[in-house]
Parts: sequence; structure tokens; C-alpha cells
Amino acid sequence: MIYEKHYVWSILLRLYHWSLVSSIVTLAITGFYINSPWTLTTLEGTGLYPMLTMRNIHGLAGYLFTSAILVRLFLLLFGNRHERILDMLPVTSRNIRNMSTTLCSYSYLHDCHDEERLGHNVVAGMIYVLTIIAALFQMASGFYLRLPENVFWQKWGVMLFGTQQHARFEHHLLMWYFIIFALIHIYLVIWNDLKNPDGITSSIFTGNKFRPRNIK
Amino acid sequence: MTDTENSTDLELQLNRRGFLKGCTMVAAALGISEAMIPKLLEAATSAQRPPVIWLHFQECTGCTESLLRASHPDIGRLILDIISLDYHETVMAAAGHQAEKSLHDTLDKYAGKFLCVVEGAIPTKDKGIYCKIAGRTAVDILAEVAPKAAAIIAIGACATYGGIQAAEPNPTGSVGVQDLVSGTPVINIPGCPPNPISFLGTVLHYLTFNRLPITDNLGRPLFAYGRRIHDHCERRAHFDEGRFAEQFGDFGHRNGYCLYKVGCKGPETFSNCPSVRFNDVDAWPVSVGHGCIGCTEPNFWDTMTPFYERLPNVQIPGTSGITDVDSAGKTILGVAAAAVGIHAAIGIGKKVIKGCGCKNENKES
Repeated sequence: MIYEKHYVWSILLRLYHWSLVSSIVTLAITGFYINSPWTLTTLEGTGLYPMLTMRNIHGLAGYLFTSAILVRLFLLLFGNRHERILDMLPVTSRNIRNMSTTLCSYSYLHDCHDEERLGHNVVAGMIYVLTIIAALFQMASGFYLRLPENVFWQKWGVMLFGTQQHARFEHHLLMWYFIIFALIHIYLVIWNDLKNPDGITSSIFTGNKFRPRNIK
Repeated sequence: MTDTENSTDLELQLNRRGFLKGCTMVAAALGISEAMIPKLLEAATSAQRPPVIWLHFQECTGCTESLLRASHPDIGRLILDIISLDYHETVMAAAGHQAEKSLHDTLDKYAGKFLCVVEGAIPTKDKGIYCKIAGRTAVDILAEVAPKAAAIIAIGACATYGGIQAAEPNPTGSVGVQDLVSGTPVINIPGCPPNPISFLGTVLHYLTFNRLPITDNLGRPLFAYGRRIHDHCERRAHFDEGRFAEQFGDFGHRNGYCLYKVGCKGPETFSNCPSVRFNDVDAWPVSVGHGCIGCTEPNFWDTMTPFYERLPNVQIPGTSGITDVDSAGKTILGVAAAAVGIHAAIGIGKKVIKGCGCKNENKES
């Protein structure tokens, strides 16, 4: 069978993906440090400021994370047809069919693969939309914690999360969502890549995916 | 503002020096200009200043105690001097029917003009029978007094957000004043107990400007609750430099390092404690080696506990067990990892049994 190369992921989407990856890794590590600092500094006057540094990095990574999510929100509406929200949710008959195919395949019921489809499968698409919503809450709680005296964030923070302590608690809990998401995401990408020859892993580097030539 | 001239004798009258110093201190706490101090003094001595009705509900009287038995007597005297207390169960001379008469006289005579101070939470469960004064429930008393007051000052954690009575499982259905009163402006002075200066500042602000000070989104005056404790803490440099007390009594604790890791809630608590401090001795919890417990925040008995940990525990669904956030997170991560492992194993097993994988099928087809 001859496979054809298709350009699927725009440069903006790939930039979004890798910004998100790097910011989540940085945010989780610095976040763990900020919650429970593990450096034992009994020396004074070293000028190392580990907590200050970690908080600064956390803030910077937070802004990268925010930018990435804003880019993704833009692409959900104005991206190419694989990147838009309508391609990610089970709202069209094509997508509903894809969802059942994907669920059957993931539960090893049969080996079929929706070869026509180039974008996300719908199960992944739904989880990604959920993740973006989680990211919006993470962003909002992050800004509320970072800018507690800002009138705008205080108003929204109190409405969405309650006190600073509530926000801190929920911010920390949501971090675990992202860690668990990363584990399952990486596993399923490898699983799909082993099963289907559409080049899913390399597509996030190159933007190209593959499908048999005879499929229109 | 230790007044050395007054510190040894028990003078009942507030002298002019103490009065001026107290008012100046309050002006500083309010953050108003020096030029406004004469106006403040004028308002505090004006003959037309509004009388105050002080209602006690579900409380321990700790707020009154801390206000009136402050180790320097001036603030306590100042409060009694500048506000005309017509009804206050703890300090009033009248009792029984006389006390009730005093309350009703003020209500009739000064309707719409008096200030109402509420100390203590209001139980609402079972028609409010858990707190009764003179045969009437707290809900009824508040419902009678509140609409006639010019403004209501809720003092203490209980009157503002319910306090310890409202902590889980809240057996008496206690709530703060703001949950029951609408139509009359309510300002919250939370704390367990709040700093007398924050209360006095609010009263003097009202007397001087005839309106309550600007508040945050939780109804607390910004002059006292506008900044996080953490941002004005004298141990903040230790925090930034990563120097922490790991447990009480260790090297870090003895050297005055940051109390973050022993559960200090300064980073999530808004109050002026580090700048205004308490009593004469300029002490506050963190300065004497104990972390902040976040008593000015809503429902702090539920959200700030455990007091010696950073974050609240997670309730395990369907059980009575609790665990900390990170243990819960690690457990879920472990379950997810196990699920991933099983899923992969099924795939491999299926491939072994069938003898050929789908990958080959796809290629051949």
C-alpha cells in the first residue's frame, strides 16, 4: 500500500504543543518545590534565593502556559479543519462514528482504524477540550494566587475558588490532573504509533501525517 | 503606644495625651493623611456621634475581651470613650429588664442612626433555638435590630463567617451576619480575635466620613485586610532565601527561619497583623515562633486545618478516610499507571495469541 503525506498540524499548533509540554514540566517541578521546598539552606548571606528563583521560574512558565492556552483557544476557532473544536467533539455523525471505532479499538474489541481521519480521534479530542478547560481553571487560580491584591483577579478568584487557601488547594489538585494526563497521553501516542502507520508521533514535530493514497 | 505616664496606675479616665496618641495610631492604620487627624479628633469627640448597640450571639466574648482588656489601657478606654455604648451585655451596668429597656429605647430613639456591632454567629437550625437572649432567638433579635441600624459592624470570625460554630458539620446551622442581613450595610472585621485597631479604625472612619471604609470582595476593610500577611512578614527574607524551620524547636526554628513548612498560613491570609501587631509588646504569632492559622479568612476552621500542614486534606469519596493531596495524587497516578500497564499487557498478549499484529494486517491489506 502506498501512503500519502498530508500536512495536518500547523506550525502554531506545534508551537502550542511544545510550549505546553515545557511549561507543564517546569510548572510541576517548581510547583512541587514551592509547596514543599526540599533545599536545606542553613547558610545565610549566600544570595542564592532558591524559593525566590523557583517562584520566578514558576511565574515565567505560567505566562508561557497561558500564552500556549490562548493560542490553542484561537486555533479551536480559527485553526485548520483538524484543529477546530468541531473536529474534536462528537457533534457530527462522522465524529460519532469515529468515537465508537476508537473506543472499540482501544478496548481491543477489533483492530479497525479510521484511516480516513487525519486529525485527533474524537476520544482524544474530547479529553483535549477537557484539558483546555482544566488549564483555564489552572490559569485563573494561578493568577489569583500570584496577584491577590488585583481587583479583577480577586473578584473572579473569590467567585470561582473562594479564599486563597481554596485556590491553592484546587491549583495543587489540578496539577495532578495534568501529570496523570501526561502519562496516559504519552502511552496512547506510543500505542497508536505501534498499531497504525499514520506517523502520529512524528506529526507533532513535522506536522505531517500519512494515510493510504486511495482514501479521499 | 505605651504611655509610660499611665502604665502603672489604674486611671479610669483617658487623658488627652492617650486620646491623641490613640487617634493618631488609628489614623496611621487607616492610612489617612496627617492633615485629617484634627477632623478625626473632632468626630471622635462630637456630641452627635451615633450610639452603639453591641449584640452578643454564639461567641466566647474573646473579641470584647481583647478589645477592652488590651494590655495598654488606652485603646480600650478610647473605644469606651468615643463610642456611646447603649447596650453591651458584657460591660453594661444594667441587667435583665433594665438592659432590655435600654436596647428598645435606643432602637426607638435612634432608629436609622445607631451603629450595630455584632459579635458571634447566628444559629439558624431548628428555628434558631440554639441561642436565645431574654427569651428571643438570635435570629429574631438581629431581624429586629438590623433594619433600624445605620450600619452593622460584624466583629470576629463568628459574626463575619460563622467561626467555629459553622465548622463542619455545623450542628446548629450557624451563619455570619452578612448571610442574614440585606438592606443595611455590613462590614466584616474578621479575626479570632481581630486587632482592636482594625475595629477602632472602622468606627472612626464611620464617625469622620459618615460612611464605612472600602472593602474587598469578602466585605473586609482594605485598610486592615488589603495585604497578605506573607508580604509584610519579618520572616519573608528567610522564605525567599529558602531557609525554613522543618519542625518546631529545630535549628531553623531557633534561628527565626520561615515557618512555611510547619504550616504557616501567612501566604493565604489577609490581615495587618505584621504591621499593626498586638498589645504593647509589638508581638504577633509569627514573631513569637508560631505560624499564622489564617483566622481572618472565611471558614478557617475547615480550610486552614490541619494547622501544621500547608494544604487541607482530601476526603476519600465514599469513606470517612482522609489523606493529603499529594498522597491522593500519587495513588491516582499509580492506578493510572497500573491501568496503562494492564492495557499494554492485554495488547501484547493478544498479539502473542493471534501470532500476528494488526500492524502487519494493515500493511498487507
